[in-house]
Amino acid sequence: MRNLFWVVAASILLCACGGGGGGGGGSSAASAPPAPLTNFATVVVDAGPAALATGPNGYIADDTPYVSVTICAPGSTTNCQTIDHVLVDTGSVGLRLVQSVINPSLLSAMPVQTDTSSNPVGECYGFVDGYVFGSVRSADFQVGGESVSGMPLQVIADSGVFSATPPASCTSGGGTNINSVQALSANGIIGISVTTTDCGAFCETAGGFAAAIYYDCPTSGCSSVIARNAATSAPYQQLPNPVAAMAVDNNGTILELPSVPSSGEASATGTLYFGIGTQTNNGLGSATPVSVSTALTGQNEHGVGVAFTLYNAQTLFAGSNSAVPGVGANPNAISTFTAFPTSFDYGLPFFFGRNVYTALEGRTAGSTTGPYFAF
Amino acid sequence: MPQTWPRAPRRRTTPIVVGLALATLAAPAMAALGGNIASVQADGAHMAAQLKSTAAGECTIHTLTRQNGTVSEYARADGLIFAVTWHGPARADLRQLLGDHFDTFQTDNAVAGGRRPRRPLAVNRSDFVVRTGGHSGAFWGVATLPQSAPSGCTVNPLQ
Repeated sequence: MRNLFWVVAASILLCACGGGGGGGGGSSAASAPPAPLTNFATVVVDAGPAALATGPNGYIADDTPYVSVTICAPGSTTNCQTIDHVLVDTGSVGLRLVQSVINPSLLSAMPVQTDTSSNPVGECYGFVDGYVFGSVRSADFQVGGESVSGMPLQVIADSGVFSATPPASCTSGGGTNINSVQALSANGIIGISVTTTDCGAFCETAGGFAAAIYYDCPTSGCSSVIARNAATSAPYQQLPNPVAAMAVDNNGTILELPSVPSSGEASATGTLYFGIGTQTNNGLGSATPVSVSTALTGQNEHGVGVAFTLYNAQTLFAGSNSAVPGVGANPNAISTFTAFPTSFDYGLPFFFGRNVYTALEGRTAGSTTGPYFAF
Repeated sequence: MPQTWPRAPRRRTTPIVVGLALATLAAPAMAALGGNIASVQADGAHMAAQLKSTAAGECTIHTLTRQNGTVSEYARADGLIFAVTWHGPARADLRQLLGDHFDTFQTDNAVAGGRRPRRPLAVNRSDFVVRTGGHSGAFWGVATLPQSAPSGCTVNPLQ
């Protein structure tokens, strides 16, 4: 029964890759054909935006999945810009764009969020290897066939509102100030992990913070840490998970990437589906949900064995391919002490040849309530 | 950055913890790696509700738990802090926790030209070792001074 369902779901997925929604071919029913599905965006794993390769520190990206997004000044259908090479991140939440890639006429029409003191709101957001700092603005947002009106996003290194120099409480976590296209390896980043906002309850109290720190930013500079509500519809304060804020297909995503030969490829093309089990092209199939609700101090509910072949990373990276499989490491083999025992990083090579599902917290996806990952 | 792993449960904490969290950005709470436990105890005096000390063989583990993260410091019998671990939804204040070693940490993790495989921050030196990991909203890390560590004391990132 379960296997049969998987076969059906898989064949529908294959249909959708070709442009979607052809379904029902051969039927003699008189009803109108279904509207083509638009709940997906094309993902490329390539050398990255052109700006990466320029200058003395130029380089090509590797194993970095990108989508294009379109933003418009709120309510406008003409003051718009499509921004390519926005990094797809299943480990963070929120849309963040580097200021330098946004047309000045659009940027100036993107309202800056203000706080109870009528001052601009600034944000610091942490990643494992560094942090970004900038303003919180809003724009009408579109990715694939999905859209969100007036969605908050972060403008990284936005020098147009207050100083782009991050406060000490932002830099004290260490790592790199990711403040440029070259530092980010992308024109922006779209975080679609399992939480519905980028800070949740942690930031709903003045002084509270987590991965996100929200600041009151008078002209003298950002310093006070302020409360921001977690909302996935207007009126917004925190950055929402863009998927959580969509009107439909808002319970999660599927990142589908093709297999890549062991030598790597210059680029690979896949699909980011919005919604899990909400359309005919995004069923959960036989993928096994792995709960993440039990978290840091516990064990996963499911042990999942994964076959993963490692190749010679030095050889692979000596070439010019940007889609490189088989790169990884066993942290227990390189550490001089016990690595974090329940930690497992799915690097991008894990995604090649797989559909990886990311289900949002508190939302039912398939027959299971998130948060979970599945593959 | 495209990496995923089990994250912390989102839960509302008690008003007491929330109230104390207000001070976390500004007030140093614990000693630095390589410092002495006396400063932990001094800081702990006004944060006694959060600080827990546990004897573990050759060392004593001092653990400070807050709403957005837990930090543990490992002290030798003579009080020297030879290891620090942290985990939680927020990035730890490594400038404070690593003390004089923070600049070395930053230098060893500076981004060079050329390809940039995304990877967690780390330090690999004979006298200073750091491992970090996780993702946004669920960070963890361990920093040790191997040459100062007593035998018979296991550093566990979960504590």
